[in-house]
Amino acid sequence: MTVLTSDRPAEVKGRAGGGAPARRAVVRWGWRLFRREWRRHLLIISMLALAVAATIVGLGTATNAAKLSADPEFGTAATILSLRGSGPQLSDDLEAIRARVGAIDVVAHQEVAVPGSVSTIDLRDQRPGGTFNGVTLRLDSGRYPTGPGEVALSEGASKLLNIKVGGMWTANGQAWHVVGTVENPLNLQERFALVAPGHVVPAATVSVFTDWHPVPGDGLQLPSRAALHIISRGHPSTAAVDALVLALGTLGLLFVGLMAVAGFTVMAQRRHRALGMLAAVGATDRHVRLVLLADGAVVGGVGALAGAVVGLAAWFAFVPALSSLAGHRIDRSALPWWAVGAMLLLATLTAVGAAWWPARAIARTSVVAALSGRPSPPQPAHRFAAAGTLLLAGGLVLLFLSRPGSEHPRAPMIVTGTLAIPVGLLFLAPLSIRLLAAAGRHTGVAVRLALRDLVRYQARSGAALGSVTLAVGIAAAIAVSAAASDAPQPVGNLPTDQLMVHLSPNREAEQAPPLSGDQLQAVTTGLQQIASDIGARSVVPLEQAYSPQAGLQPAHAGPRGRTVPAGYATTSLSRITVSGPGIDISTMNPLYVATPSLLAHYGIPASAVDPTADVLSARTDLQGLKIFTPELRGGQASSEPGTASNAPRAPKISSVEPRIQTLSQLPLYTSAPSILLTTGAVQRLGLGTVPAAWLIQAAGPLTDTQIQTATTAASALGLYVENRDEQASLAPLRNWSTAVGVLVALGVLGMTVGLIRSETAGDLRTLAAAGASSTIRRTIAGATSAALALLGAILGTAGAYAALLVWHRSDLSPLHRVPVVNLAVILAGLPLLAWTGGWLLAGREPPALGRPPLE
Amino acid sequence: MSVLELNGVSKVYGDGPAEVRALHEVSLTVDEGELVAVMGPSGSGKSTLLTIAGTLEAPSAGEVVIAGAAVTGMSRNDRARLRRRSIGYVFQNFNLLAGLTAAENVALPLELDGVPAKVAREAGVQALEELGLRERSGSFPDELSGGERQRVAIARAVVGDRRLLLADEPSGALDSANGEAVMRLIRTACRRGVAGVVVTHDAQLASWADRVVFLRDGRVVDQTAPAAGPESLIAPGR
Repeated sequence: MTVLTSDRPAEVKGRAGGGAPARRAVVRWGWRLFRREWRRHLLIISMLALAVAATIVGLGTATNAAKLSADPEFGTAATILSLRGSGPQLSDDLEAIRARVGAIDVVAHQEVAVPGSVSTIDLRDQRPGGTFNGVTLRLDSGRYPTGPGEVALSEGASKLLNIKVGGMWTANGQAWHVVGTVENPLNLQERFALVAPGHVVPAATVSVFTDWHPVPGDGLQLPSRAALHIISRGHPSTAAVDALVLALGTLGLLFVGLMAVAGFTVMAQRRHRALGMLAAVGATDRHVRLVLLADGAVVGGVGALAGAVVGLAAWFAFVPALSSLAGHRIDRSALPWWAVGAMLLLATLTAVGAAWWPARAIARTSVVAALSGRPSPPQPAHRFAAAGTLLLAGGLVLLFLSRPGSEHPRAPMIVTGTLAIPVGLLFLAPLSIRLLAAAGRHTGVAVRLALRDLVRYQARSGAALGSVTLAVGIAAAIAVSAAASDAPQPVGNLPTDQLMVHLSPNREAEQAPPLSGDQLQAVTTGLQQIASDIGARSVVPLEQAYSPQAGLQPAHAGPRGRTVPAGYATTSLSRITVSGPGIDISTMNPLYVATPSLLAHYGIPASAVDPTADVLSARTDLQGLKIFTPELRGGQASSEPGTASNAPRAPKISSVEPRIQTLSQLPLYTSAPSILLTTGAVQRLGLGTVPAAWLIQAAGPLTDTQIQTATTAASALGLYVENRDEQASLAPLRNWSTAVGVLVALGVLGMTVGLIRSETAGDLRTLAAAGASSTIRRTIAGATSAALALLGAILGTAGAYAALLVWHRSDLSPLHRVPVVNLAVILAGLPLLAWTGGWLLAGREPPALGRPPLE
Repeated sequence: MSVLELNGVSKVYGDGPAEVRALHEVSLTVDEGELVAVMGPSGSGKSTLLTIAGTLEAPSAGEVVIAGAAVTGMSRNDRARLRRRSIGYVFQNFNLLAGLTAAENVALPLELDGVPAKVAREAGVQALEELGLRERSGSFPDELSGGERQRVAIARAVVGDRRLLLADEPSGALDSANGEAVMRLIRTACRRGVAGVVVTHDAQLASWADRVVFLRDGRVVDQTAPAAGPESLIAPGR
């Protein structure tokens, strides 16, 4: 080796604190390290990108889903005035309204019956581009109708009628040429037919859209003195939506922060020795911190950008599904852009902030400890637990005081409380990890080692657990809230594989027209043919009971412009309330007779029916209802003579307190025969029976074509088909949120467990050297992952329930509807998946048994 | 004039039954231009002595004075400034920063002290040139051999106005030829007025020192000036 030696070199004078050159030097080193080790940063960047992307999609979903309650029929109008659609003074009435309220949009309506179906279609002459209702009309294909005989159909109407653009539709005796398809972007389920303005003749009703806000006592007299129905929309509270977006954004940032803290803690640990070297050559604490803060800024910026790209792509892909879920059209650009922009900026700042904590810890470590690469001993868990308990309690108190559900909730309290609860849970993470490790002290060496490593590396395992808890907590909160918000019987009118064929055009008909023997034979034959055409498995005749003393009721006008044919007034299970001189009859559930064939359809043996029972049902909400039989000519059981408020004439009635037997095999669907009158009760009450409907059981979910086939055939027989209605159920939201929550939690676990296990690579080498098989290594990874998943699932679910209990404190009954499947997926499925994932991805032999490479 | 003074320095780790007394009232003075070797068995406190002398650790008791400044009572930042201005540290496993080139590693203490990057870089390249590594100044540590890495570490330890050079087993990761070369460089630095302390368990390398201090169980058990070693073979003026 050739070495030149010389006199001591000239002094190079510096500055006291290092100044800008020192900062540039450490930032340059941090940047070089990032470039050299960008693959190591991929996990953290991915975690950040995942959090940012999830938050962007969440913000978009929350903002747009919140519009659900914005009264879709109103458009931008404040009030809809409804009046009769005909009469000589209609023009004068409309002029009077215009003079009183200013600009108006006028739409004439006519209800059109659909042959062979219990459904109807609203024929309307809405003008495209209306001042107030313009947003409720959009052309999907073809063109708007412009002249007589032209119509555009909504998708629902088109499906129901099985008519496409170019086809012809005959409605109420008039032929219409279908020139386009339209929709109400605010309510995609709306079924209507659009004609050119002035072509609904005669109109049944007229709707007037206006931005007029009526106040009490602000009467509006029409020249015709006709009745005017005024509906004003509720005052849409943007504060609630803003609070929701703010809370979600805050949670998103917290999520980003937790992920970043977990990632940077690991990165700081990996650079422990290098940072010790830096300190050994004279770097101050500030310089050491600056290295990690610069790293945080770069990683945060890259992660935020990547997250924005992924989040926006996911949002664009998710919009059609969300539109379907929400039931209204969602514009892809309908994101709260201010919130997204702020989110990206804050995500970067959050990453810097997240880097600050481990940077501070590293800078405070002694140089010798840093050079030796020894991790700092974990902080005592009880301090975190005390802080966590305080934060959790404080968050719940704030939610309690925020007046949830009121018209003027206290948004700052909601946001602060929503933030404090997950932070509190985060602070409880170290204690829960220690408790789990203590509980697992008698387990096998692999599980024991995995649990103890979680305690040893408490900083990063705690942050990871916090992230999982947050993801699971959000999913659980959405699932529980959705279950609470769903109707008590969220199953709809019929299952997708059944059709009901009614003799009456009204599904809620209270009169069954009698059939002669020949007619019944013809109908039965026709129904068998329908069943054969659509590949159905069975046709079950349904009978209803009536009072032979009552005789035939005359035909009369029914709801939705349809005529109820003459027939027998059928028995129902109803709520009968005596109010002064009158009797109010409500909640009229049709009663079908429990014939042997119907019982057999549901797999109920005749012997299972209590001979003393009057009514059979799976429903548990029938207490207080009575068997109601209208009787025109008096009757044996008449006990409460009076007037039925919604009967065609003023019949006498009889009502009997039924003995109800609960049979779980019976369905809960609202139109299916779910409440049965036993044949014993029919005999005891002296009732007669009459065919009323038929239940067609298909082999699988019915297609539009099959439904159309059945409807056409039923129309020819003078029958009316009912199929499953579009259901506005929150079940898809529940399931989606659970799936996304579990996936996000698994993603977090996959990333953080990888980081944690990489820190204990030395232990794995030792284990391998001691002869441990891949099973041990797999078990360690699986147990690490599953332990975090289990704790996260328990803490997240418990936190969500605690918050929701406070939120629903005035009425806890909605929380009785527990989304069992969703919670089972979270509490059992997530840990199981985490274990499986860890098991499958681990087990590779360490590349070397020597020391790990130095920085 | 003494550059390093340790007066009654003790260091205790842990407490209670886990208490370990690493150093027990050690006093040591190293003058300008003097090279002192510290020897002793494992666990005798050699490395602890060096980390306390280098202000990387604070003593449990006693006083440390470096270049006339008492370290006790200094803030962390003041100690950091003292390290980058007056103390050079050479570690057994080089401890170079992987993201920086050889020249940047050498210039790092200067840059941390506020010297503009260009000036610091020139000083770094000059220091490397003096150690025969000018052509490797743009190389990253993982592109250098073990001997080259240790020479870069020495260059970093002597660059600027360093008064005290501390080396912990500087040849521990090197072969004997490179080990000898490293000691020669340290000896040369001391000749220019730097006070040096070298921890080693190799008597052959210790023979380069002006004085050898023996530690056992945290106490100085002997101090001796060694017989003329290999240095005596070097012709004056080299």
